[in-house]
Amino acid sequence: MNNSLKIKRLLEILPGAISWGTLTLLIALAIWQPLACAIFVIIFEFYWIIRTLYLTTLLAMAHRKLYSQKNRDWLADCLKVDPVRGCAKYHLIIFPVYKEGLDILRPSLEALRQSRYPKQKMVVVMAFEERNPNARQAAATLEAEFRDDFFGYLSTFHPDGIPGETRTKGANATWAAKQAKEFLFAKNIPYEEVIVSCFDADTCVDKEYFSCLTYHFLTNPKPHQASYQPIPVYNNNVWYAPSFARLVEISSSFCQMIDGMRVERFVTFSSHSMSFKTLVDIDYWPVNMISDDSIVYWKAYLFYNGDYRVIPLYITVSMDVAYSSSFFRTISIQYKQKRRWAWGVENVPFVIGSFLNNNGTPFLKKLRRSYHLLESHVTWAIWAVIITLIAPLPILLHRSFFNQVSIGYNLPKITGMLLNFTAITSFAWIILSRLTLPKRPADVKWGKNIIMIMEWVIVPVVILILGSTPALDAQTRLLLGKYMEFNPTEKTRKK
Amino acid sequence: MISEQKIRAFLFYLGVFIFLAGLPFILSFAVGYKFDPHKFKFTKTGIIVIKTQPANASVYLNNALLRDKTPLTINELLPAKYNLKIELDKYYSWAREVEVEKGKVSRLEKIILFPLRPHIKQLNKERLSSFWIDATDNNIYYVNQDDSSIYTSNLEGENYKQVAPFIAITPPPVKFRLSPDKQKLLYFNKHQVAISSLTRRRDAASQEEPFILNYPGEGLADVFWHSDSYHLIIISDRKIQAREARTDSPAVDLVNLSRKNSDVFFDTDTDTLYFTDYQQAGDGNIYNNLYKIELNTKTFLLQNLIGTKDKEDEQ
Repeated sequence: MNNSLKIKRLLEILPGAISWGTLTLLIALAIWQPLACAIFVIIFEFYWIIRTLYLTTLLAMAHRKLYSQKNRDWLADCLKVDPVRGCAKYHLIIFPVYKEGLDILRPSLEALRQSRYPKQKMVVVMAFEERNPNARQAAATLEAEFRDDFFGYLSTFHPDGIPGETRTKGANATWAAKQAKEFLFAKNIPYEEVIVSCFDADTCVDKEYFSCLTYHFLTNPKPHQASYQPIPVYNNNVWYAPSFARLVEISSSFCQMIDGMRVERFVTFSSHSMSFKTLVDIDYWPVNMISDDSIVYWKAYLFYNGDYRVIPLYITVSMDVAYSSSFFRTISIQYKQKRRWAWGVENVPFVIGSFLNNNGTPFLKKLRRSYHLLESHVTWAIWAVIITLIAPLPILLHRSFFNQVSIGYNLPKITGMLLNFTAITSFAWIILSRLTLPKRPADVKWGKNIIMIMEWVIVPVVILILGSTPALDAQTRLLLGKYMEFNPTEKTRKK
Repeated sequence: MISEQKIRAFLFYLGVFIFLAGLPFILSFAVGYKFDPHKFKFTKTGIIVIKTQPANASVYLNNALLRDKTPLTINELLPAKYNLKIELDKYYSWAREVEVEKGKVSRLEKIILFPLRPHIKQLNKERLSSFWIDATDNNIYYVNQDDSSIYTSNLEGENYKQVAPFIAITPPPVKFRLSPDKQKLLYFNKHQVAISSLTRRRDAASQEEPFILNYPGEGLADVFWHSDSYHLIIISDRKIQAREARTDSPAVDLVNLSRKNSDVFFDTDTDTLYFTDYQQAGDGNIYNNLYKIELNTKTFLLQNLIGTKDKEDEQ
């Protein structure tokens, strides 16, 4: 094994080793040094409460921005910026598809058709996998329905088994982008004039999305050195999804909104947009990694030596809450989806490994980004375990000792008091979740409103099962070198 | 207008400040520190936790009435001895000196306040000679020698009813023992064992008559039911015997005892009898040993479990 492979392997081990090391150390402390563990728990809980209050404030600020821009006429703003070329940018929209049916794909295209941005500036690529036996028929059906609505409409079929590729969404999207590149070349459209959006198959954009995106592209002094990240909300089927699945997805949206406020550590996630020129320059999405949505950002970041950023767009793209008809199947789907998201930990060896060979990016910037990346994955994996499982351990294991000392009496009081603060944040999250909720469908009873408020009680359990556990799972797999394969999430929509 | 990033930076550093400034207070509170204004320094304090039965009693700490009533916790007490008094109307008060140590919790959680005039409830409905309580079934058995009957009720004296005839023995019985199957009751004095059936047999119109087993020459120390509810283990001054609970059944001698008034325990769950007896050792001394007999096997094993603790001189 050469040195670079050894370093890569070490960096793969690093996040899991930190997470498991921390948890093991805390359990050991709880067994052999209960007092030290109890003091650590108090410090951690206090830190966590302050952090939660801080992040909730950022979330409220993000919501305020979202709603202040809700009814903004972005198209008019584009024309104000550049009356001649305000609507001249082309949009290449790629939908990588695997097994999603027409019930999922049709609304996504319909949302594009409803877009206010001129459709004669849009090129839509439905990127199917050739290994899907139903792909050709689905492509033909959609082509018949939508091809005349846009400047360009392509159906691509990504061949299976291209050398160097794994079965990932990035490989499909890259194949589609290369086909689109030929199309644009044939039409004599320069890449600099094209903004590419890679959307999950169930993504329904707001009618102002492309106008908003174009506005930010036009007003950005370095438009090619930025990715543009909308706020993903899971509103397509949110009223029909089970409580825990809904809570997980709402929390994901909120985390995105919070990260959007912390631009210095913001990374692209799921459906997003960027300059097509940059995409070509960085050789498209990774074709052998699962977390293509974030790796593409890091590739651009490295290409521009750290002078690349993600611009948050305060406009929503709506996707599906992943669920199935059966409770346990839904847990399984959710778990696998979250594990796939947590597999974003593969960014750690990619980014830090690349930083080691990148001399153009300032050292402090590299250090800070590496820390943020590592910290976010480790925190994701362990915080809920510490608060729910490890915090009570010292007292449970050493009840007689803690019965006799002040800290044993005060620890539950302090924990209770601190966690009461989380009730305040939970209350804020409930209110904010109501604000992003779409109108209740006619076939959903009013009582569902009550359920959707009460369900927040189960948040700690949900976060433990569908937050920390899949993250620990992903990190452990990476630590052991058992690499994950791309596993598309099953989507169900009530007809 | 203040930029968003400035607000964010302000919130971030405010959070850092609150964490750094608040942490010492939270930790010192957790481990029991309190600012002592007299000495002008932080002093480690202790806690008194009080629970009383019944609750809602008034608490006096060094003769000062506390606002809260029991159960309560008195926090941040400087290390010292405190006079604690607990009062509740119509109950005896409770008082004690309690020492509070730094960083420690003094738990007074087993305080029972006894009533000045306890409520006394009569349970029997008939005349009463003696009684026996079966705690496992929550039943009280009453013996009325006047009408030669055994009655039963629940622990509140309710559902009082006659369950069996009682056969008088003289002197009156010293102990009652219910058979494991709850069908029979035995009672005995120094020379007689009486057995009454508590249920009617399906094939009999009347209840099985009580009967007496006589031991005229022996002083009975104890009688136990075997787990089969059919055999008896009889401990007399000089013997341990087993027999069926019938008048025509002979007794089998299990052990001849060297001493009177042996300590005996019979475990009905395992049918094991534990008893003490003297044994003369090779050194000429007599030792008191503990033995056990397992009566659930065909061959009864006599084992010497523990060597004596009480060494006695040969008489």
